[in-house]
Amino acid sequence: MAAAEASIFSGSGDNSVWTDVSPLLQAACNGLQDGELIHGDNFNLYAAMSALEIMDPKMDSGMIGRYYSVDEAIDGGAAPIPISFDRTVDVQCTIDIMDHLLACEATWHKGHSLAQTVFSCIYLLRPERTTSHALLHSYSSVIRATCKAVISVVSDARTHEEEDLFTMMYGLNLNGEDEKCLSILNAVEETISRQLRACRALSARRKVLEDIEPLQNNPMLEEGYCRAILARLRFRKHFYHVLMCLKRPQGRGLQLARKHVASCISELKAIRELSGQHTACGGQTISEDRTTASGRQPVGFDASLNARLSAPTPPRSIKILSWSEFQKSQPDLVARAHLQRLLLQDGKLFGREAIFSVISKAATLPEVVKNHDIEKMECVIQLGQLVINLLRILCANSAWQRRKLGKILQDWRVTYIQLELALRSKFGEPSGTPSGENICMNILKQLLVWVEEKVYWIASRFLMLGFELELYSTSEYGMVYWYIYVVSVKLVEKLHHRISISNRGKRVKCRGKKKRVPGKDATRDIQFSPTVLFLQSHICLAEGLTMMLAALRNEKMILESPTPFNSDQERFFQHFELLQKAGIPDHNSYQSFEGSTKNASLSMLAMYNHFKDAQRIAKEVKSSFSDDPERLSELRRIEQVAEHNSVALSLLCRVGDALDSSLKLSFEFSHHPHFATAVVRRS
Amino acid sequence: MDTGVSGGGDEKAEFDPSEITYVSYGGEHHLPLIMNLVDQELSEPYSIFTYRYFVYLWPQLSFLAFHKEKCVGTVVCKMGEHRSTYRGYIAMLVVVKPYRGKGIATELVSRSIRVMQESGCEEVTLEAEVTNKGALALYGRLGFIRAKRLFRYYLNGVDAFRLKLLFPQPYIHPSLLMEAHEDSIRRSSSDTIEVSH
Repeated sequence: MAAAEASIFSGSGDNSVWTDVSPLLQAACNGLQDGELIHGDNFNLYAAMSALEIMDPKMDSGMIGRYYSVDEAIDGGAAPIPISFDRTVDVQCTIDIMDHLLACEATWHKGHSLAQTVFSCIYLLRPERTTSHALLHSYSSVIRATCKAVISVVSDARTHEEEDLFTMMYGLNLNGEDEKCLSILNAVEETISRQLRACRALSARRKVLEDIEPLQNNPMLEEGYCRAILARLRFRKHFYHVLMCLKRPQGRGLQLARKHVASCISELKAIRELSGQHTACGGQTISEDRTTASGRQPVGFDASLNARLSAPTPPRSIKILSWSEFQKSQPDLVARAHLQRLLLQDGKLFGREAIFSVISKAATLPEVVKNHDIEKMECVIQLGQLVINLLRILCANSAWQRRKLGKILQDWRVTYIQLELALRSKFGEPSGTPSGENICMNILKQLLVWVEEKVYWIASRFLMLGFELELYSTSEYGMVYWYIYVVSVKLVEKLHHRISISNRGKRVKCRGKKKRVPGKDATRDIQFSPTVLFLQSHICLAEGLTMMLAALRNEKMILESPTPFNSDQERFFQHFELLQKAGIPDHNSYQSFEGSTKNASLSMLAMYNHFKDAQRIAKEVKSSFSDDPERLSELRRIEQVAEHNSVALSLLCRVGDALDSSLKLSFEFSHHPHFATAVVRRS
Repeated sequence: MDTGVSGGGDEKAEFDPSEITYVSYGGEHHLPLIMNLVDQELSEPYSIFTYRYFVYLWPQLSFLAFHKEKCVGTVVCKMGEHRSTYRGYIAMLVVVKPYRGKGIATELVSRSIRVMQESGCEEVTLEAEVTNKGALALYGRLGFIRAKRLFRYYLNGVDAFRLKLLFPQPYIHPSLLMEAHEDSIRRSSSDTIEVSH
């Protein structure tokens, strides 16, 4: 295969001769009328769209950049070794290179190509050149090994479909002796530590025990530079350790990785503090748009050198993130890939727990299920696959995640139906069955309830993510909240059902042990668990928003011009198509939505305030989550949204028709990412 | 692909909307006008073949807007079968900066959409940068929804929305769609099992 390819590119050797066809082309051009094209059998207009105009810098990769190749750049002095013969300047420039490389690496993590970021460094492209420069060599060896490890984990995770630019290596050489890179780094760290000790001893007028050559020439700056370099080397070392620890199977390296992360953070802090003391550059702090502590441009970087590696068309120029820009961003692809690898290994949770065991716990199946044949049923195995797939999807970026969640609804529905069929075919109609089979039947029934609960959970998450991704326009909020309300009601119903079954099971077990207190169990039956109440507060909020938006629309307080080509019904169908196809819910939903909301009015809402209910429930259930900070903060957010909307609602009821003249109404996500708050302002 | 309809800065042209004439793509003489407009206003580099692909195969879907002999806006589209759906696609929509904000873009794209609807398209789609507020507002007013968010769709790292407009269809009850699917997996079962909810 490779030989055939080679022969094509070398001009197939034997019969080919180069000839100038300019006169032929000229004659053809003269012979063609305006608008005429020459057609080829295997070349249609669609294929022609990939054509490039040669020498157009927007389309021709060869047209950009100062240098034709890396070697030409090196010959042109773009990446000198040593960087300067003045050792102080050399050290300064090395620090700049280290800083800029870190910024490049961060930019790569945010999704830009390796070729345009980390490998825009000429020193990294020709690693053999740096062997004489201990600092550059050790730093670049570790960075290469780090990038390789990161690519490996992201590739394995396979949840980076839209981010596939990330793992492309463009034929760049990432190989090196990874095992050695740490020992090289440690050796350099040791040397600089000695240099630091020596210069401190000198300044304290103590005798220096060893004859150490200083890092650079200026004794005034020696301590500062030693510490600056040490912090950077140590950061690299700890970061590499984080990756190695997280690689260990079954999450064994997690605790140690945490310690290394803490060390990374403290080294970064040190880097920031020290940069404020760089007397050589007048003590600049790391400013907003700089990639280096000194503020200088680093030596030895050229992003255009790899342009031809990426694609025929030149890559868009990208901006390397500054430190402060990267600080502001959220954990992304690399973190998610690590999370997924931690969660799922060898088809087991944390590499340890079998998926059926995970399902049993989640579905609160009775203990007896452990050695049961139920695990071997086809539909139960399929369910296990669905759960694994779901975990993987939840580790993907939210845009991709939402699309996948929508698609798997059908798969979960199919598995539900198969479980149901299995139940019916094994046990027919439930009547007097022997106790052994009774257990199996009950387990299947519980599994069915759990599967339904999960389906509604997936549907709910699918809908909520739409807010985060900004997929809904304000005029669509009403139908979305209605759908969230309907789905959440079902979710809570199934959840409550599952909890009651499992509680009943527990009570049955205790029956022999103590006398049942008359009346007490009856109240327990209608008590809702905190989890159910937590969700109930969301339901009240969703209902409140649905009704408020519908009332405002019905009373013409929010005006929406009709769209010329379609109506709300089409948009409803589009947004909820995947849910409708999976039968969530099972009746004709647009008509239900219309029916539920056509009579909504502000005066009606004044009488029955869903927001007040949400507030009340959220407040009451807080005490049950006193040791769960995430739930607590969620409940606080729910309370805030409920309160603000309640106030807005009262105001709108009083204002009535005056709304369009002096006041402006908008819906903002200031208190919660999914639940909007109505805001009334003077216009 | 690309829509350039927002902003426009300081220099605004003085004109009455009735002075704008809209013309369907009429041939080769219109091609350089379209190319110049798009090259000028949009950032994507397109070779002449890209333009030819659209205007040769679907001339009825491209329109130009003129103000007194000067071409001030254009829309370029296509349509075809995509996964058993016949749909239209809006490739380019441009109005020169001094003429923006007056409904020219809306009129151009509406004409295209009307032709698509009359030609039997079930839906119309396009991509727009999440930051292109003007385009998102324009298409929103026409009834497009944001169907998907495409992570880092553009080469400069910006996300895109896939916008879709669904024309009213003869109504099919969702449960019929569902039953058709369920029947395909309930091969051997003879009784009609009602799925409980």
